[in-house]
Amino acid sequence: MGKALLIHKNQIIAYLFIVPSLVIFSLFLIWPGIYTIYLSFLNWNLISPDKEFVGFGNYVALFQDPNTYKILINTFAYIVILLMLNCFLPYVLSFILEYVITKGKNFYKKVIFLPSIISLVVGSMLYVWILNPVSGPVAVLFKMLGISLPFWSNTNGLVIVVLSLITSWKVFGYNFIVLLAGVSNVPRGVIEAARLDNIPLHKIFFQIVLPMSSATGIYVFIMTIVQGLQYVFTPVSVITQGGPNYASSNLIYHSYQDAFVLYKTGQSAALSTMTLLLFVLLLFLEFKFVEKRVYYASK
Amino acid sequence: MMKAKSKMSGLLCLLIIGALIFALSGCASSNGSGANTASSGQKTVIEYWHVNAQTQGGQAVDELVKEFNAQSKDVKVVAKFNPDMYKGLMQNLQAEKAAGKTPALVQIGWAYLDYFSNNFSYLDPNEAIQKYDPTSKSFLKDNFLPNVLDLAKTSKGKQAGIPYSLSTPILYLNKDILKQAGLSQDGPKTWQDVQQFAKTIKDKTQKYGFYMQEPGDTWAQQALMLSNGAKIIDHGKAAFDSPEGVQAYQLYADMVLKDKSALHVPWDQGVTAFINGNVGMLYTTVAQMSNIEKGAKFNVSSIPSPPFVGKQPKVPAGGSFLAITAQTEAQQKAAWEFEKFLYGVKSMATWTEATGYVPPRKDVATAKDGLKDFVAKNPMINSALVQMGKAVPWTSFPGNSGLQAEQTMIDTRDKILGGQASVASALKDAQQQINQLQK
Repeated sequence: MGKALLIHKNQIIAYLFIVPSLVIFSLFLIWPGIYTIYLSFLNWNLISPDKEFVGFGNYVALFQDPNTYKILINTFAYIVILLMLNCFLPYVLSFILEYVITKGKNFYKKVIFLPSIISLVVGSMLYVWILNPVSGPVAVLFKMLGISLPFWSNTNGLVIVVLSLITSWKVFGYNFIVLLAGVSNVPRGVIEAARLDNIPLHKIFFQIVLPMSSATGIYVFIMTIVQGLQYVFTPVSVITQGGPNYASSNLIYHSYQDAFVLYKTGQSAALSTMTLLLFVLLLFLEFKFVEKRVYYASK
Repeated sequence: MMKAKSKMSGLLCLLIIGALIFALSGCASSNGSGANTASSGQKTVIEYWHVNAQTQGGQAVDELVKEFNAQSKDVKVVAKFNPDMYKGLMQNLQAEKAAGKTPALVQIGWAYLDYFSNNFSYLDPNEAIQKYDPTSKSFLKDNFLPNVLDLAKTSKGKQAGIPYSLSTPILYLNKDILKQAGLSQDGPKTWQDVQQFAKTIKDKTQKYGFYMQEPGDTWAQQALMLSNGAKIIDHGKAAFDSPEGVQAYQLYADMVLKDKSALHVPWDQGVTAFINGNVGMLYTTVAQMSNIEKGAKFNVSSIPSPPFVGKQPKVPAGGSFLAITAQTEAQQKAAWEFEKFLYGVKSMATWTEATGYVPPRKDVATAKDGLKDFVAKNPMINSALVQMGKAVPWTSFPGNSGLQAEQTMIDTRDKILGGQASVASALKDAQQQINQLQK
């Protein structure tokens, strides 16, 4: 009896400790989430006195709109490009700096991390100037070589690549630092032994470093997808506003545009809900197939 | 143990519900506070919302507010800057209203005229004068051109506010490039001339001949169609898919796609390219005047917006109007007092000098304490002043999907200039879509 009571008491204390974060979590995540789902069944702009219940009308409209599919494809294009630029590339770089060319590691660390502390709005404006296809410094340089820059911000496909590059300018450094920490935690002895056996570098990377630092790797992998989508928002908003004709819009920007530029709150909420479901599904797949194979050193 | 566990999950549920209720009540409590009629000392404090950053007349706003506060006995104005122009202000206003509050006086961009009047309660300036300032009954009639006042009339014919910042598109010329290409330095007379000029510039100098602004609206493109006698809207229905509309857009699309003499990039990139001397002619708002004058290292001049051959030029007015959104009598009275001050000749002159906007009042440009000296020093603003009589309202599509209609116009522009659709079919689709929305 007494023991049960003690457990009981401990549990209460434990829950008390959880309460503050639970309140914040409910207030800023769960409640808005529920409210968004509620909004997605309405044709309403948040302030108008007439609130029309439309059932699944917003969802139907969403699936009938060809732009939705265009934006979905864009979203995945951003994810693929950002994974290359902000996950794979810094992974390789941190491997090289840790084990291959270690000279100047600290210098590179600082230089590469620097852009992470600068606002992406500032970065976007900077790049608009640098990459101005007619009068920017890059255009002037290329002109000397007889090449004229394409109007990237109005070219389908290319616009996504350039906006991803601008985003990676900001995200790359942070991911690099995190991955470097993960990579440098791989026991040095293992690597040395492999090198003594003349194992080629790419094999060391893929078969030793990658699996042994996979706990960090998977974190950066997921964060790249999630944050990448959100960070892309800023250059899209500053430079193209989703244009030309939705060629640079992604799910998050489009939700924003529907709700806070065009005030179609219901449709935006429907799109947000679909986005949420999509990413829940992706995360589920990740947990099911990838998480099991991740190596946690402390376990 | 099992029992304790089920109890625990019960407790957990309770906590979550509690948190939710807390969240709900948190949202609800902010509803009650209402407009802030709190007075500091004796003065009524009102909020004035504007979009003018420090580089865009923000200093003039501060100056005017300070001057007003110093001379007013019973009103204190607090100016609040809203980033991201009229769109940003609208977003903030929306949030404020959702929280049950409103500022006293706001700047509303023309494109939002209909959305604003449908979703917010405002005080008609005629009513404000009647109620709080009956001695100056003819204030509006005496001081404003009728076509200018009409700009702020809703589709239902109600006066939503008074025009404040007025801009019209004008054609900026890089005289050095025109000279190099052997063209008349007075610039083109018609849009057909503009196309010829642009082609000649491209052929002779390898530079771009022309750029028309492409921001997140189709204001300039509307001006183009209007100047060929096309209508954007007719009896509440989109009507730009007419032979005139198609012809006008075709000329523009040909410059971009066929002649390759016109640039097709976002607004800031286009303006920068002109300032750096890579584009011969720039069609954009008069509000860019000081930016261009400061940046350009060549001979720059401007001419009014041209018409098509045999047609009358027409320009949609850009900028904003001031609307009174105060809800209590004291706030409304104070808002009108401040608004009247802003429309004084001297205040208007300060405003124009700082922003490059055209004054909506009739007499400011010529008045001695007004803009006489400024106009003499900045001849480019004349291009906008002389075309004020030709200003027509910037089409604000009616109904709750009006903003979606404007977005459709933007998408159509992208499709045409990107070469993804012919002018005729793109305009036809757009018109159909917009008229469908309004049903």
